[in-house]
Amino acid sequence: MARVTITRIADGTYCVEQNGRNEIIFVAGSPADRWIFWNGQVFRGDFRAADPKRAASDSAEGRQPGAGPEAGADKGGEPYHVRPTSVMAPMPARVSKLLAPAGSIVKKGETLLVLEAMKMELPVRAPADGTVTAVHCREGELVATDTVLMELT
Amino acid sequence: MIRRLLIANRGEIALRIIRACRELHIESVAVFSDADARSPHVAAADHAVAIGPANASESYLSIPKLIAAARAHSADAVHPGYGFLSESAAFAAACEEAGLIFVGPPSGVIARMGSKIEARRLMTSAGVPVVPGETSDDQSDHGLEKALARVGFPAVFKASAGGGGKGMREVRDWAEAREAVQAARREATAAFGDGTLYVERLISRPRHVEVQIFGDHHGAVTHLFERECSVQRRHQKVIEESPSPALTPALRARMTDAAVAAARAVSYRNAGTIEFLLEGQGDAATFFFLEMNTRLQVEHAVTEAVVGVDLVRAQLLVASGEALPWGDGSLVQRGHAIEARIYAEDPARDFLPQAGPLLLYREPRRPGIRVDAGITEGGEVPVHYDPMLAKVIALGENRDAAIARLVAALRDYPILGVRTNIAFLIGVLQHPRFLAGEVDTTFLDRESNAAVSDALPPFLRDALFQIDDGMSQPRVQSAKPEASEDPWSALRGWRA
Repeated sequence: MARVTITRIADGTYCVEQNGRNEIIFVAGSPADRWIFWNGQVFRGDFRAADPKRAASDSAEGRQPGAGPEAGADKGGEPYHVRPTSVMAPMPARVSKLLAPAGSIVKKGETLLVLEAMKMELPVRAPADGTVTAVHCREGELVATDTVLMELT
Repeated sequence: MIRRLLIANRGEIALRIIRACRELHIESVAVFSDADARSPHVAAADHAVAIGPANASESYLSIPKLIAAARAHSADAVHPGYGFLSESAAFAAACEEAGLIFVGPPSGVIARMGSKIEARRLMTSAGVPVVPGETSDDQSDHGLEKALARVGFPAVFKASAGGGGKGMREVRDWAEAREAVQAARREATAAFGDGTLYVERLISRPRHVEVQIFGDHHGAVTHLFERECSVQRRHQKVIEESPSPALTPALRARMTDAAVAAARAVSYRNAGTIEFLLEGQGDAATFFFLEMNTRLQVEHAVTEAVVGVDLVRAQLLVASGEALPWGDGSLVQRGHAIEARIYAEDPARDFLPQAGPLLLYREPRRPGIRVDAGITEGGEVPVHYDPMLAKVIALGENRDAAIARLVAALRDYPILGVRTNIAFLIGVLQHPRFLAGEVDTTFLDRESNAAVSDALPPFLRDALFQIDDGMSQPRVQSAKPEASEDPWSALRGWRA
């Protein structure tokens, strides 16, 4: 049976030995929200030993970051929304252009509005076909992360 | 010689300039916004001045505040870095008027080269080839569409005042034209305060090859060879290298001659870069003047590595009135240098810029590797500025060795707390087309699914459940799993 031996080398730095082979990993954050770096890759997830099911289901669904854009999208991890009917700001930003006023009928993937953050324009797209039922932001407005910008049905 | 230098910038480039100051015994004055009070460049400088709120337009882009800070701290020179006010003729002129040495070309040169329209005219008259295109005096949607009709498809709209891909939109047919014009104008206005656009023919699958040039007050102009910057994502450079795998000796001679001619045409002084688009293969390839950057480039360290020079030191010497520190014919490319830019962005979410705390940050150290970064462990990546965190530059005996060295360094560069493009960069550096040197500026945008698809390896998953924050024992020999029916129950049997 495979054995894993872990040696702490320095703050956040561990040597993981399995079958005689060593790997260095870097770990930060709390067990409930772990960040891990290994060999150029970053993983993030819940690794509380008391509740292994949670992490098991996360990784089984390919939901931990780094699983790739397609895996995320298949499981409802579409970038710019959390609930299917609310369009939220992914980060603090300024609303630079509103393209879909209330009442608009939009197709999945259509640009609803454009945010500007860190000198870049970020198009926010419709997560699904639908109708814009409410717009909660104005052009020029500064919005915080997770601000609901629009609602769709 | 400059005595005290104000650095009108932040992040890695501010630190880079501070280091050059130390070697030349120049005192450094850092400036910082409210968001940067605890940033590394502030602590590294001899003096530091608060210049206003996080919003760059009220701090790093405020000419009056920067000039006032320079005066209040008796600086005799100002280095603008790159970005922010580095290509602002108004800032250079304000420095000149205040009796401060501006480390860069004269304001008049910045103004002429900063206008892409004026720069094109100038290059044409100097015999440097330019891409077919035009600027209409009529800057309305309609006027720009008429210019587009004359240039033909495919075409690209660009900000006259711009750079860095901001305010740039490609158009392939009329259906895209109106939205492209408006988006380009919006971005140009937001980024540069000037929405003037021009349109030019899109060269199909060009390479981006630029030549570093340098002029002094005594009429000397030299070049420091090329940098290939074809690996770009949405017009943002991601990987840069020198020599370019595309240049034959004859082509290199033609391009560097053209770059020096371009610099002489404007009586250029200090460090600058002539950017070219390269179309075709081998000696028969053709190149077109793209733009001139009248400042130090982000990727200057590639040239420093492969030519063995210190461009920032040379900038400070030349700005002080000294001659170029390199003798005639003494400059050669030795080996191969390659740089990767580390951005705080999430490749899995359409490269969304990231901000947040740097929970863990450890730079790789190994022969032939240089890391220029503006961050430290325990610090923050603020939301207000460009998401570039660091640059890693590898120097090797040849291209393959330099690439292998860079990949190894990136695999040993943990950054946690903020998502970065490191895994994506490794994927690009190992792409067969990149390894073959067969890339053009459309490579990344077409091969974006070369992106990361990392699943957590099983051994790592097992190990992670055993690590807890209080862990201080040298050896952890068994886990303490809960009894359950799920696969994790397998952990129960583990013993040393």
